[in-house]
Amino acid sequence: MLIIDDLTVRYRTAGGEIEALSSVSLKARRGSTLALVGESGSGKSTIALAAMGLLPAEASVPSGRILFDGADILTMGAEARRQLRGSRIGLVFQDPFSVLNPSLRIGDQVGEGLVHHRSFTPDAAFERAIALLDEVGIVNPEAVAKAYPHELSGGMRQRALIAGALASEPELLILDEPTTALDVTIEAQILDLLENLRARRGLTMLFISHNLGVVRRIADEVAVLYAGQIVEQGATEDVLQRPAHPYSKGLLAAIPRIGRKTARLAAIPGRLPDLRQPPASCRFVSRCPFATDDSQAPQSLRDIGGRLVRCSSAEALRETPWPVQAEADAVGSPSPATQAVTAEPVVSVEHLTKSFVLGRGKLRFEGWRPVRDAIRIRPVDDISLTIAPGEVVGLVGESGSGKTTLGRTILRLIEADSGVIRIGGETVSGQPPSALEAMRRTAQIVFQNPDSSLNPRKTIRELLGRPIARFGLAPAADIPRRVDELLDLVRLPVHYADRYPHQMSGGEKQRVGIARALATQPRFIVCDEPVSALDVSVQAAIVNLLADLKDRLGVAYLFISHDISVVAHLADRVAVMHHGKIVEVGPADTIMSAPSHPYTIRLLSAVPRVDGPPHAQPRAGREAAVPA
Amino acid sequence: MSPEPAAATPAKPPRKPMPLQLKAGLAITGTILLLGLLAPWIAPHPWDTISMRTRFLAPNATYWLGTDEYGRDVLSRLLMGARLSIGMGVAATLFSLAIGVPMGLAAGYFRGWVDEALMRLADVLMAIPPIMLGLLVLAVTPPALWKTALAVGFVYIPPIARLARSVTLTLANEEFVQAAKARAESTSYILFREILPNAWPPLIVEASLRVTYAILLGSALSFLGLGAQPPSSDWGLMISEARSFLDRAPWIALAPGLAMCLLVIGINLLGDGARERLDPRLKARLGKA
Repeated sequence: MLIIDDLTVRYRTAGGEIEALSSVSLKARRGSTLALVGESGSGKSTIALAAMGLLPAEASVPSGRILFDGADILTMGAEARRQLRGSRIGLVFQDPFSVLNPSLRIGDQVGEGLVHHRSFTPDAAFERAIALLDEVGIVNPEAVAKAYPHELSGGMRQRALIAGALASEPELLILDEPTTALDVTIEAQILDLLENLRARRGLTMLFISHNLGVVRRIADEVAVLYAGQIVEQGATEDVLQRPAHPYSKGLLAAIPRIGRKTARLAAIPGRLPDLRQPPASCRFVSRCPFATDDSQAPQSLRDIGGRLVRCSSAEALRETPWPVQAEADAVGSPSPATQAVTAEPVVSVEHLTKSFVLGRGKLRFEGWRPVRDAIRIRPVDDISLTIAPGEVVGLVGESGSGKTTLGRTILRLIEADSGVIRIGGETVSGQPPSALEAMRRTAQIVFQNPDSSLNPRKTIRELLGRPIARFGLAPAADIPRRVDELLDLVRLPVHYADRYPHQMSGGEKQRVGIARALATQPRFIVCDEPVSALDVSVQAAIVNLLADLKDRLGVAYLFISHDISVVAHLADRVAVMHHGKIVEVGPADTIMSAPSHPYTIRLLSAVPRVDGPPHAQPRAGREAAVPA
Repeated sequence: MSPEPAAATPAKPPRKPMPLQLKAGLAITGTILLLGLLAPWIAPHPWDTISMRTRFLAPNATYWLGTDEYGRDVLSRLLMGARLSIGMGVAATLFSLAIGVPMGLAAGYFRGWVDEALMRLADVLMAIPPIMLGLLVLAVTPPALWKTALAVGFVYIPPIARLARSVTLTLANEEFVQAAKARAESTSYILFREILPNAWPPLIVEASLRVTYAILLGSALSFLGLGAQPPSSDWGLMISEARSFLDRAPWIALAPGLAMCLLVIGINLLGDGARERLDPRLKARLGKA
């Protein structure tokens, strides 16, 4: 169906030419699903763009062919390529929020391709669009077809996009991270839908994702990409259960798993090689714990027992697992704080409530007075929670459940409507901001996005030195030394102090974010999705770091995440949040193994896992599709 | 979404070659500025000595740009005038920055009624025609160049304040501002130490373009007799004085006119070039979120 043969793609950038793909060869068989997995910079999106003939102008293709049913997409004229895209290949993008045109009705957008490529009349196309919306599991498709994108939820928008991609009856569907922007329960529904459609229509799918759990649910075959090369390719279960290439091993070991709590996650140290001059040796050699002298030689893809592996020692490493590095200084005895769970809680929150006014309702009269009722949402609704010193409380929930609002309300970055907040034994709710000095030192926060949380105009030394100076924790002359200590604490080299944030990688920036929170020697840190913006291998390292710091410094975390497996790994207790309320709270192991609230059960069953029983039975998942 | 090569080179930000516009702008503006600064030493003749024997001389070997109706060397007056015109423009812009930037920062950071009040105030300022304001200020008090600068600077507060506000609106949502609040930083620290350094690039670009408007407006006021006073050699005033002799001695008006064109073009190129250089980097850094 789709054959990619020896494809090399280079991008011209301001810093020099980058080789995004190096002689990649792939084959997607008719009616099967091929998944491309890899971390950022691996080149997986470039393959999708190339297969669609949509490479940007700064890309050049020095070698390779992309054959779709025997015709080379790369040598085709622009018009022929456009025809192919409109009729035989469908594309679904990552972000359902920005792809739909906000000023056109859903039905018109779904049927648009039919008008252009199949010469339907607009009315006939609209009728067909309704049928397609019905096919992708939208209830009441007539009403949805007449709705505008902002009236639909994320999951419904993604369904509409899939309907649009299906409109022209394509044979090949290319999906670029189609569920990354969605919540797990919605993600599960979309994956079921795709599985159904493939069976019904005999579609071939090229599925791009960084999430191995998702890939496992949907793909027959998987290709693992690293630094523009395929390092391993084979049947999904084979590759995911018994990875042969060291990188695949590392990637799989880095994923925290529900129900199998280990002390540390395996992290892959180091970073991608410089793709301006890709090394002639194995591209993974600098990060590979199994590297031998052979690794210095160029590696080629070899067939090993029904799969392709780009590693000369693959046979020897077959049964060797990825080593979990125990960092020597981290395995000290746990500080007394961890055991003293019965002690006075460091944070306690009672009946905390916060609501926002979304807008105003219709005008009505109350007696003679015209009034407009406020339409409110309550992201924090009567929440009570305590956190003991040195304890990690995980807060999980889907987007819009109020996790972030709760975290920031506790720190009084958002003012609560009512409720009592106590931090470090002091009541901080109802106090004027000037009385919060002690609390600001005791309680700190780590943000999700290190690009946004570190001021780009300040050096790391300024960023870390400021909290120390602000609270007068050290004499001015001592600050540089304290900054060095903080960098050491988060395992960054001391010379990084003179760098600016944009000179560091995402994981390194997040380490600085953590160091900044630690600078005030806090007893409590709100970690607001601290690893969500990071690649799996980096995520593992940061999670390990947070666990070490907790053991060493006895600091308590409120660990907010939408990723239940990360929370399960790190947290002592877990609180599940749904529509502003905590629906269930309990020890992490209990919640993961025996959840009692129906929502928790639903949430846990939706998580795509890389272990456990294969393929859940596709359910005919239909959303309650009343436009909001 | 751009594909992924950006992630492959995290360490060294690529250094862009200087845009041609920026180079040309720097060359033109720099030359004029330098000539203006060195004017007292390089001017070939005294700029204010009246000499009846040399009236209305066409450009020649001694007087490169000719002489005016009082026999003064046009080139020397032009060089001296550069200081006045540029000085006036820069002073006016600095004045509008000094008022407009804090206004914009406060409006964008506090929002609500502060924003409403400050921006409506800016609207009121904007509603006053610049020339009218100049006329008003300078009609009731004796005209002087510094008052022109003040009046012009006053007029250009609203655009600066509006830009500062819109930049602040975006920056105030950044998490580093939240982080600063989480360590109980004072509002003035957040505004001037956290937000302002990130707001400078677009503000500098805007300000450099404002300098040209200020020079033009200042010259217009001088032309109307409300700014610099004779025998000063402000370019607007020079044109004003020369307009009665356009038929006889066009060079007296043409020289300052052309000089002003050149300066305005130079500063505009400088501003555009700086925008090209500063803005994408800002976007790349803040836009990733």
